Amino acid sequence: MSAAQSFAPAPLLPSTSPAPRRIWSIGGGKGGIGKSLLAASLGAHLARMGKRVVLVDADLGGANLHTCLGLSGPPLTLGDFITRRVERIEDVAVETGRPGLSLISGASDFLSAANINYAQKVRVLNRIKGLAVDVVLMDLGAGTAYNIIDFFLASDVSLLVVVPEPTSIENGYRFIKSALYRRLRRAAVGEDVRRIVDCALDARNPSGIRTPLDLMTAVEREDPAAADVLRRELHAYQPRFIVNQVRGEADAAIGHQLVTACARHLGIRATYAGSVRYDDAVWRAVRQRRLFLDDRDGARPSEDVHKIAAGLLEAETLTLPWS
Amino acid sequence: MTEILRGTHYDVLGLERSASSDEVEEAYKRYEALYGDGALATYSLLEPEEVRVAHARVDEAYRVLRDPERRRDYDARTHEAERPAAETLEPPPPRPDPRVLPEPVTGPDLRRVREERGVGLKEIAFASKIGIRFLEYIEADRHGELPAAVYLRGFLQEYARAVGLDPQRTAGSYLSRLTRR
Repeated sequence: MSAAQSFAPAPLLPSTSPAPRRIWSIGGGKGGIGKSLLAASLGAHLARMGKRVVLVDADLGGANLHTCLGLSGPPLTLGDFITRRVERIEDVAVETGRPGLSLISGASDFLSAANINYAQKVRVLNRIKGLAVDVVLMDLGAGTAYNIIDFFLASDVSLLVVVPEPTSIENGYRFIKSALYRRLRRAAVGEDVRRIVDCALDARNPSGIRTPLDLMTAVEREDPAAADVLRRELHAYQPRFIVNQVRGEADAAIGHQLVTACARHLGIRATYAGSVRYDDAVWRAVRQRRLFLDDRDGARPSEDVHKIAAGLLEAETLTLPWS
Repeated sequence: MTEILRGTHYDVLGLERSASSDEVEEAYKRYEALYGDGALATYSLLEPEEVRVAHARVDEAYRVLRDPERRRDYDARTHEAERPAAETLEPPPPRPDPRVLPEPVTGPDLRRVREERGVGLKEIAFASKIGIRFLEYIEADRHGELPAAVYLRGFLQEYARAVGLDPQRTAGSYLSRLTRR
């Protein structure tokens, strides 16, 4: 992990086992809330638990996962695979110096990679699913662009990071709704129903559709059978919140409140994957291009990330009887 | 307003009817915080008015359920109405004898009925989530400002329901004038 790293290619062969890959993604509408750092540390913890993990920096255009891991920009990136300069996705993966953890770096130098088309997205997803690892962990960029949302929706575990601040929560809700509407739009049957979903996408739409629940009511009026299809999609949509940078128990409880608010006011069955305590050790480590979980004073947030990783592996989520 | 806040006091606090007094206290603390002033989880999700109403509902539910006597009264009163909790999932039952206006129904006709019944525009807007602007356009027959018929039909039905008119026939009659033009 020194500056004189050699970028050994990671020996990731296409999987031959039929076991489904666990694709995890980390999103969250807002930038600067610790998504990449969480992805890196979650990946590192999973690797410590003996899992084979590949981190994918899908923050196309703003990639920096390598820096979080103390690496400089690798020579080959996801952009090289997308533009077919490299044919096999495993050839753009590199070792991170941590046993079991490899990295497919993002394409920070390749501007148009931030606007990849649908076929390219499908190709990336299909190849990623074929990698011989236990977990593929995708770090998504900030914002609600379709690129980001499509990777979020294609994941088995869709993690949404927020910090206890109004701006982050607001963007988090926007993200969660945008992703859901995109999912519903794809599942919608019939021109009229699609028009209603499109209408919901416009936050200032005149029909007063402000939440997925309103949307269901509007579709129900138009076409009860189509509403059934959408309701199934709505129930299958299960984003998981991570609350980062919490200071005290009240902050950590926000995760439970978000889950309740999603259920009551949006009809979305979100869950709470856990919180990570704020700690100065984290930014001290970032400045030194180290991961906080390697430092003794980073023990508290590291313990939190470990708990989240373990919980997700067991498909456990924190729930309270009232949520 | 979200369905759940229209339910029973138990629904509002997310409790079973068998909830203990400790559970009532616990639930109140949580929901009080959820709809508290500037609470992060609801601040950007709900309108200030919605938060205010939700908070008031939580307070009301708590005041009744914490008091054994009032709770017993409430349970006795709502026992027969147990089923309405499930009913909220289905469309509300039509009111007895909804009025049908002579055709074709105009905006001013609707306003007259609404005023007779003493229903405020704000009330309809709040219950139906239809912008008050659009309710005004409906009453003023400003058809150019109104959304496409597919949405307008829903608006008109909500309006009609709120003032005790037959939703289907009122909406159909109002719309018939638009399409003729």
